Amino acid sequence: MHAMSLPDADAVIARARLGDPVALEAIYRAYATPVYNLSRRICRTTEDAEDILQETFFEVCRSIRNYRGDGSIWGWIRSVASSKALMRLRRNKYRDTDELNDDLAPARSASYALRMDLESAMARLSDTARAVVWLHDVEGYTHDEIAGQMGKTVSFSKSQLARAHSRLRTWLGEEAPA
Amino acid sequence: MTAHLTMEQLLALRDDDRSEPGLAAGRDHFTTCRRCQSELERLHQRTARLRALPPLAPATDEFPAVHQRITVARQRRDRAAASIGLAAAATLVLTLIGRDLVHPRRLDAEQMLQNEVSQSQRLEQELRRWNPAERVIDGYTAIVVIQLENKIAELDGQLAAAANSKHAAPIENEIKLWQQRVGLMNALVEVHLTKANNVGL
Repeated sequence: MHAMSLPDADAVIARARLGDPVALEAIYRAYATPVYNLSRRICRTTEDAEDILQETFFEVCRSIRNYRGDGSIWGWIRSVASSKALMRLRRNKYRDTDELNDDLAPARSASYALRMDLESAMARLSDTARAVVWLHDVEGYTHDEIAGQMGKTVSFSKSQLARAHSRLRTWLGEEAPA
Repeated sequence: MTAHLTMEQLLALRDDDRSEPGLAAGRDHFTTCRRCQSELERLHQRTARLRALPPLAPATDEFPAVHQRITVARQRRDRAAASIGLAAAATLVLTLIGRDLVHPRRLDAEQMLQNEVSQSQRLEQELRRWNPAERVIDGYTAIVVIQLENKIAELDGQLAAAANSKHAAPIENEIKLWQQRVGLMNALVEVHLTKANNVGL
């Protein structure tokens, strides 16, 4: 999704492994926005996203000596960020319910102004459903990978995605005429 | 099949996921059902719109805070490494020289302590031989390694504090700390050797 570039990446990473603060900062500058974007799309608040941004780069700076370049540096940083974001969701799980549950409130949903923008609709999904939609449909993680990160089954991830899309379809007024 | 495709089936079609049950029959229905074709098209469009959402940028620069935390963590680790060497040396001296001067029950305890220290040193050597800095590990494993290293650093801090304390701590406490360290070192070696990303933390 994001076109990021780290000029002279191999040399920068090699210097970062030795603890060079300039190289570590270059990595931060190259990937801070996509990390923040991923975090903010998954979590509800800017505060959570900023915390995840800091936690992610703290981990990245400390463990970059373990990164040997077998995959893209962004893939590695993203796995740290998504893991942190999901950890944050687990911590905040008391809020993990849809704000508008169609099954429980059909009368309200029928009369509700259905057409809302996509960002608002995403924000109304449960934390888990929103995370699955973002990680699968945007970041390109497989259900296997999402299940692994969440500590759940593949079918859990699939059903969360299907349920989320059904809700988005309704909330966005995209249902097919009967 | 006359029923329209479920969202699960539409997603399976979109993602070419052949593990979805009933998808073969669903495909037959799909080829002739304009409603399901429209549903799939809307699903594609919704996904494209999600991917096209503008990236959100952080309002604050977190790097100064990250850099400060890294600096503090390095200083703490260096101090702990220096102190742990002293603690281990002090323990060995106590064990080797002082064993005849203490009570027989204390001799047993010191033998246990010596065993734990030796075991911890053996695991450190094993880890050095493995040379993790030269190995490739994935992001999840790296996180587990960091968690274990953090816990070991915490323990080293406690051991160093005990070694530097003016008041000698009971030897049982020291044995307990070293036993915990051996357990964590075992887990760390295990993670590096097997790339396991779940060690029951």
